[in-house]
Amino acid sequence: MRELLKRLPMGMLVLFCAASLYAATPPAVGGTAPDFALPASSGSNVRLSEYRGQVVVLSFWSSRCSVCAAQLADLRQLQRTYGSAGLVTLAVSIDDDMAHARDYAAAHGGDLTMLLDQARAVGRSYDVGHVPTILLIDRSGRLRYRREDIRRIDNPYISQLRALLDDAPVKDRTEP
Amino acid sequence: MKSPGKHCITAWALSLLLGGACVQAADNAAAPATPVVAAAAPAAADASALDQQVQDLKKQVVDLNRDLFVLEEELLFPANTQVAIFVSMDVGDFFALDSVQLKVDDREVSNYLYTPREVAALARGGVQRLYVGNLRTGEHELVAFFTGKGPNDRDYRRAASIRFEKGIGAKYLELKITDRAQRAQPEFEIKDWE
Repeated sequence: MRELLKRLPMGMLVLFCAASLYAATPPAVGGTAPDFALPASSGSNVRLSEYRGQVVVLSFWSSRCSVCAAQLADLRQLQRTYGSAGLVTLAVSIDDDMAHARDYAAAHGGDLTMLLDQARAVGRSYDVGHVPTILLIDRSGRLRYRREDIRRIDNPYISQLRALLDDAPVKDRTEP
Repeated sequence: MKSPGKHCITAWALSLLLGGACVQAADNAAAPATPVVAAAAPAAADASALDQQVQDLKKQVVDLNRDLFVLEEELLFPANTQVAIFVSMDVGDFFALDSVQLKVDDREVSNYLYTPREVAALARGGVQRLYVGNLRTGEHELVAFFTGKGPNDRDYRRAASIRFEKGIGAKYLELKITDRAQRAQPEFEIKDWE
């Protein structure tokens, strides 16, 4: 009992820190990317934390989005180019109609890992308000770059990606 | 379960410890200069001592991290209310696990999706702590829904339930997935560890 009382102030501090961190949503660029597990259109499940040590592109798309197909084509190209350097692309559908999402994934996903977020829980946890939205997560699991409504993969995005793959210092960025 | 509070404290403690090391290193650097030849051997000794200090600091941080983890568990889940639910799988030839949903007293407390890597770890003998929470003493009901692929690659969903008495001590329950070779079917049971 005395031991517990001695530890109580430290415990309160731990709880305070935990509460303040849990309250801090959505994830800020530079912070730890929230972990999630989602079913893939191929059938198996995928958990983000299993890709720790690799650079992860998290792309949110929808079958109703007019520019997502072009962006997914660009992401497929990037995956082919940088896959051997440790790039993993997870494309997350926020469709509520899973049949449409599966058809779209089959048509445009190619060899990308296409995930289905029917409940939109992951979309909410990353505060996704537009599609397409792209996020870059570094090898240590930190969110390093966020860009919304990106129509085509352009040079600023690729330079960020290459810096992360090279483990070079990257300036955390959020672009509208 | 993730423990951000623990990391917060650890980072704080680490910064204090490393700050102390830096001050000490700066003090060492600020010491009066001595002839180069004479200083070579002591410099090597200093580097060795500094390396030892860094190792000691790292060990202290690891120990502190462990203590904080234990403390956090004790505070969040005291033994008199703690309920922990584990998952294990034996063989798994007749069932490919996809997800487990847990309901305690008709309230969903966990819905966990398994990746192929996690299923492989369970099949190799791993035991996963799926849920830890608090329950008051008395009688409770646990229902577990298992979803996956059954024999002949067909979609499979089964439930197992148990009524258990939560006493003063911590309660441990194990969800066991085993193969029943005679019927070529998987079997799901919940074991109450007294």
